[in-house]
Amino acid sequence: MWKYLRSEFLKLRKSTIWLLVFVSPLLSMLIGFGEANFTSDIKEYQWVSTLGVMTIGHSILFLPLLTGVFSSFICRYEHSSGGWKQLLSLPVSRRNVYIGKFLMVSLLIALTQILFVAGLLFIGWMKGFSTGIPWEVILPSVIGGWLACLPLIALQLFASVSWSSFAAPLAINVIFTIPNILIVNSERFGPYYPWAQPFLMMMPDSTDSFGALHVSFETLFIVVLGSLLLFFCSGFMYFMRKEI
Amino acid sequence: MSDLIIKTNKLTKKFGSKRVVNHVDLQVKRGEIYGFLGPNGAGKTTTIRMLLGLARPTKGSIQIFGEDIKKDKISILKKVGSLVEYPSYYGHLTAYENLEAVRILLDAPKSRIDEVLSIVRLTKDAKRPVKGFSLGMKQRLGIATALLGNPELLILDEPTNGLDPSGIIEIRELIKSMPKEHGITIVVSSHLLSEIDQMATQVGIISKVIFQDSISKLRERASSKIKITVNEGESAWKMLLSHGITSDLAQQSIYLENGSDEKVAKVVKSLVDNEYSIYRVEEEKKSLEEIFLELTGKEGGL
Ligand SMILES: Nc1ncnc2c1ncn2[C@@H]1O[C@H](COP(=O)(O)OP(=O)(O)O)[C@@H](O)[C@H]1O
Ligand SMILES: [Mg+2]
Repeated sequence: MWKYLRSEFLKLRKSTIWLLVFVSPLLSMLIGFGEANFTSDIKEYQWVSTLGVMTIGHSILFLPLLTGVFSSFICRYEHSSGGWKQLLSLPVSRRNVYIGKFLMVSLLIALTQILFVAGLLFIGWMKGFSTGIPWEVILPSVIGGWLACLPLIALQLFASVSWSSFAAPLAINVIFTIPNILIVNSERFGPYYPWAQPFLMMMPDSTDSFGALHVSFETLFIVVLGSLLLFFCSGFMYFMRKEI
Repeated sequence: MSDLIIKTNKLTKKFGSKRVVNHVDLQVKRGEIYGFLGPNGAGKTTTIRMLLGLARPTKGSIQIFGEDIKKDKISILKKVGSLVEYPSYYGHLTAYENLEAVRILLDAPKSRIDEVLSIVRLTKDAKRPVKGFSLGMKQRLGIATALLGNPELLILDEPTNGLDPSGIIEIRELIKSMPKEHGITIVVSSHLLSEIDQMATQVGIISKVIFQDSISKLRERASSKIKITVNEGESAWKMLLSHGITSDLAQQSIYLENGSDEKVAKVVKSLVDNEYSIYRVEEEKKSLEEIFLELTGKEGGL
């Protein structure tokens, strides 16, 4: 498995697309800086409210979009100049090729999440937040957000492997991401809408202003895991049988 | 191990109801350059995709190195290098990085990259992004990639397609040197007979029927005739007939099928004895092109 990741990493590293991992953490950090002015009086909530504000744009918009961009891109260089043909006529297992690509995108999203936390810590340090770092809130948030991205990655990878077009899966991803802002408010649909899940998982508990946040963590977790399994297996089976 | 590197049995591929490859029995022997010849659309690429496990046969079986591609795909592919249709490459990587991306997967030693680069003479351009390469250079990089794993069998699908004449010669020389210098068996496909004629030792022609034999056998099929041009064709032909020599008459020339040296000598002698003027004695060969057309049928799309 290791060699599949190394080969993938080489192909990815020389493209500039991975630089996108910096975009959302940076923007979220700027937003976080602006926000804290208003809530600085409630000291216990400094960290959590900053995290909450940073999370909105990051998880409603950027995370779903990034899963699409990375998934499309990791297939693009295979589609564009006969890469699949060459790759799959090597003595490699298709299974590992597919899993390798999935892991690579998951790692990029994980990196994004780590940078996101770094941004939060940087704000706290600059502003001198008085309380200790509430890891018990931050860790579930970023890890949950990452978990919730996995079904999206699986779905996008399926789409990107099927279509040789780079733009089509991306366009569809954007179309499904835009209604997010409405759907996260819906207690009924929110938990079952894959594009809304990163937000629902990431938002710290103390902010109750979005309808779907009332759904229990267990429900969300099962939905995320279930859809991950469904999407991953569909894409995987398709890829195993695909004629190149 | 048997000396057959590739053996297919009634290999068939249908797309929908369309039979693209129909009951093909390939037999490729060790150390040969096997020319896989057929007009465009005959199913060469489709056959090669099946050989490499990229596509599944509708019917029939494939054995490579005596193993079944369905069961032992990875162990077969370890010994195969290939280049299918147009060259494959990662445009944003340099030639070296392209090879490195494949080398990692093959667990080949790093030094092998420099070796294959020098075989295809791309050492100078190794550090340039491949998207700026000419088609010929990309094709050579493709061959280098195919050679990375030190394959015993090299499958090249139309490797000279779209190249300029000097590129064609270069690739051809490269291919011809391979079995001698590296002991590799090669399957090379082409829709051009002249290509195959210049490189191959064995030939398989794919179309409705499949002809499969050594190139020299194919040449033998180009049976020769002796054409004799004389001043009075028809009367000469009658005279020969009266001497018990059968020949054909066309456009006032006399044609001898399969004329042995003695027969030709005898005919010429009787013509001279009967005071005909002999203008020309020529050998007429049916060209390989004509045989190719005969085998592949007129609808061949050439
Ligand atoms: N994936 C496919 N689906 C449907 N038809 C195909 C497919 N691939 C090839 N064909 C058809 O099969 C025929 C043979 O194609 P190909 O194997 O590329 O021939 P060649 O390489 O000898 O030129 C062509 O008529 C082509 O249109
Ligand atoms: Mg072809």
